[in-house]
Amino acid sequence: PAQTPEATLRHWFNLVDSDHSGQLSTEELQKALINGDWSPFNLETVRLMMNMFDTDNSGLITFPEFAGLWKYIEDWRTCFQAFDKDKSGFIDFNELKTAMHSFGYNLSDPFLRLIIKKYDKRGKNASGTGDVSFDNFVQIAVTVKSLTDSFQRIDTDRRGFATISYEQFLQLVVSNR
Amino acid sequence: MAYNQQYNYGQQGQQGQQQYGQQQQYGQQQGYNQYPPQQAAPPPPPAAPAQTPETTLRHWFNLVDSDRSGQLSTEELQKALINGDWSPFNLETVRLMMNMFDTDNSGLITFPEFAGLWKYIEDWRTCFQAFDKDKSGFIDFNELKTAMTSFGYNLSDPFLRLIIKKYDKRGKNASGTGDVSFDNFVQIAVTVKSLTDSFQRIDTDRRGFATISYEQFLQLVVSNR
Repeated sequence: PAQTPEATLRHWFNLVDSDHSGQLSTEELQKALINGDWSPFNLETVRLMMNMFDTDNSGLITFPEFAGLWKYIEDWRTCFQAFDKDKSGFIDFNELKTAMHSFGYNLSDPFLRLIIKKYDKRGKNASGTGDVSFDNFVQIAVTVKSLTDSFQRIDTDRRGFATISYEQFLQLVVSNR
Repeated sequence: MAYNQQYNYGQQGQQGQQQYGQQQQYGQQQGYNQYPPQQAAPPPPPAAPAQTPETTLRHWFNLVDSDRSGQLSTEELQKALINGDWSPFNLETVRLMMNMFDTDNSGLITFPEFAGLWKYIEDWRTCFQAFDKDKSGFIDFNELKTAMTSFGYNLSDPFLRLIIKKYDKRGKNASGTGDVSFDNFVQIAVTVKSLTDSFQRIDTDRRGFATISYEQFLQLVVSNR
């Protein structure tokens, strides 16, 4: 069912809350998030999710924050499945290009290839995978959005380029961790 | 917004030219290349011998090479790298090391590549111990500030605080840690160097600021993964 009843979600929350603290740490959260092929979410995506939904900045996810995060992930899963046209369980170059375009980004082919290369966790040894799993897809989309927002705060005239200082640049990159 | 920061690579000084570390200040010539600076105050000799005999290193390599492939994957490499408190290196630092030493770009580390990586880590360990003045096993704000200055970087206090906040894995719940472990220290130093190199490729006049396009910006960030 597309809608997860709150009781089931609560049950799942309690299951991964190993120390019974009533809140989830990054490690516990990682246990709650899995890919379509049952592999766990990579830690960077988990951390991204933590940063987005840990609204009181406590470093821990409460159940209400978790409920919001879960819905967000489920929405992304629907989106992922829509763009995974060949139902491979992975998003390849063309599927990614279509997705990013429909999100409103106009990114060059070389850049999209760089993205796949950097985020494809299966790619290096197996030639010809060149695709990304669900957790990486979410990470890519969230990262591109976040970086675009950062850039737009400087390029307010939307000229497509901006002048930034050295430390501004460092800060933009580090803030995106 | 600190408008005057646009003219400096750091926070002191009014002239960008002078401030962008008098060229050498970035420490490239002074030794912050891939290896920690030579002029770091020599620490007392660590308990373990500085030189790991090749056979011991080979033994260690074989130990973590669980599938006996003769090469190490990222996961196997992670088992070989540990912090002073016996915690394993975080995966991002492992991946950084993999990117740096996987010279044939195979995605796997051969024994020769591993030997180079090991030496690099040991040099960093010496450096870390030199800057960990209170021997806490962690580098706090002041120790980090000293380290980055000696590497030739002139970074503002707010930025250094941001770094600690983003890299301190123990910090969020335990108030007052505000420090980073060895693996994060290496990650910070390598990342700052890498980003500085990237920025310098655009800011060739060393003015302290550069004009970049949207996609150039995205590329710079993504390339640093």
